[in-house]
Amino acid sequence: MKIIFRATARFVKDVREDLERSHRFASERVGFISIKAASAPNRLLLIAERYHPVDDDDYLDDPSVGAMMGQEAIRKALNVALLQPVGMFHVHMHGHKGPPGFSRTDLTEQAHFVPDFFKVRKNRPHGAIVLSHDRATGRVWLNPDRVLDISEFNVVGWRYTFFEGLRSRLSRATTQ
Amino acid sequence: MTSPGDFSRQSFLGPDSERTLAEARVAIVGLGGGGSHIAQQLAHAGVGHIALIDPQTIEASNLNRLIGATDADVIAQTAKVEIARRLINGLRPWINVEVAQTEWQAADHLLKTAHVVIGCLDGFRQRMYLESAARRFLLPYIDIGMDIAKVAEGHYSIAGQMIMTLPDGPCLRCLGFLKSEQLDQEENRYGAAGVNPQVVWTNGTLASLAVGAIVRLLCPWYPSVRDYEWLELDGNDQTVTPSRQPDYMPRGECEHYSDEEVGDPFFDLPSPEKTS
Repeated sequence: MKIIFRATARFVKDVREDLERSHRFASERVGFISIKAASAPNRLLLIAERYHPVDDDDYLDDPSVGAMMGQEAIRKALNVALLQPVGMFHVHMHGHKGPPGFSRTDLTEQAHFVPDFFKVRKNRPHGAIVLSHDRATGRVWLNPDRVLDISEFNVVGWRYTFFEGLRSRLSRATTQ
Repeated sequence: MTSPGDFSRQSFLGPDSERTLAEARVAIVGLGGGGSHIAQQLAHAGVGHIALIDPQTIEASNLNRLIGATDADVIAQTAKVEIARRLINGLRPWINVEVAQTEWQAADHLLKTAHVVIGCLDGFRQRMYLESAARRFLLPYIDIGMDIAKVAEGHYSIAGQMIMTLPDGPCLRCLGFLKSEQLDQEENRYGAAGVNPQVVWTNGTLASLAVGAIVRLLCPWYPSVRDYEWLELDGNDQTVTPSRQPDYMPRGECEHYSDEEVGDPFFDLPSPEKTS
């Protein structure tokens, strides 16, 4: 199945700008993107709907990682999916150009919290995305046990860009 | 995807342009005088995935403008999408062409996964509905259309437009192209529209503007940023100018579509056995 993640250029720009803001102790920022979906034969389309930044006070001070969300951040994201028919995608950013990869810690943490979204919104895909300055990589859960890579990203604007997502096998190889 | 062919004459589009165009997916709704021109030009440009949607078969009156059609097609009542498919693959056999000989509403799977949707439709309401679908799937929408009006005895006016809207920019209603009174009038005369004059040279001009807009969207050859484009063709003077009409419209966030109105409202995750 081909998975396409689509967002407007303005949306992606706003998310990048938010994730680049400094935090008083975390070295990176994180957030969630709520998505709507559509399907076609052997295709799944994920459409970015709204960005939900993690509040400053919802980070844990953990110097061993770039950013660690507290339980309140997860609860707020779960609440969005509970109240609205959306999928939730965790998002963070790596400050370079070119395809970004998930770190080993990213992959481990995702496996813990992403399946929880199916407890509140089971008929929507959920997942995680990492942005770079010009590319993205992502994974989508179709159920708590089934994970696929996002195949293609579409950034829709006056300059329309589309590019392949990095396969998670490769993203493990580029663990940072 | 490989794109066999020599694209050196359009290499100014950038080092990645051949690959970008070969991987691009464009859906054309309406394969009459305008859409057939666009299909031909996209094939020449090297767009690698083209979806063609039109329920109609060719009629004798289409031959004055339908690119690629032959007299034999009229006799055989060939579907317009098949004429366009033959035209495209005759130029570049490697292009992936998907066709749907149906109303576009029954082929929305071809719209969802496209990168750009082009509407070559008659009627204002159909334009509004197609743009709504494009915005629902977060797609740029390009509209072309022309009209010939008798303004006095022996005096005709030819006019047309190419409009591109983006999903987070002003829509056809924001720009003032679609107006409530037009939509209402059209609804009231439904089924009695009569013969709509069309000519090949005007269709070709508008189609070229649309293809230029698509290529610039994917492979810009000069820096520019806008949130829509509306070009007006004066078919009598044979001039093309940016429309001034949006200048007189109130600007701001689109009031006709919201950010939440995206995706399939009846979406449900496919069952696991269908997702392998």
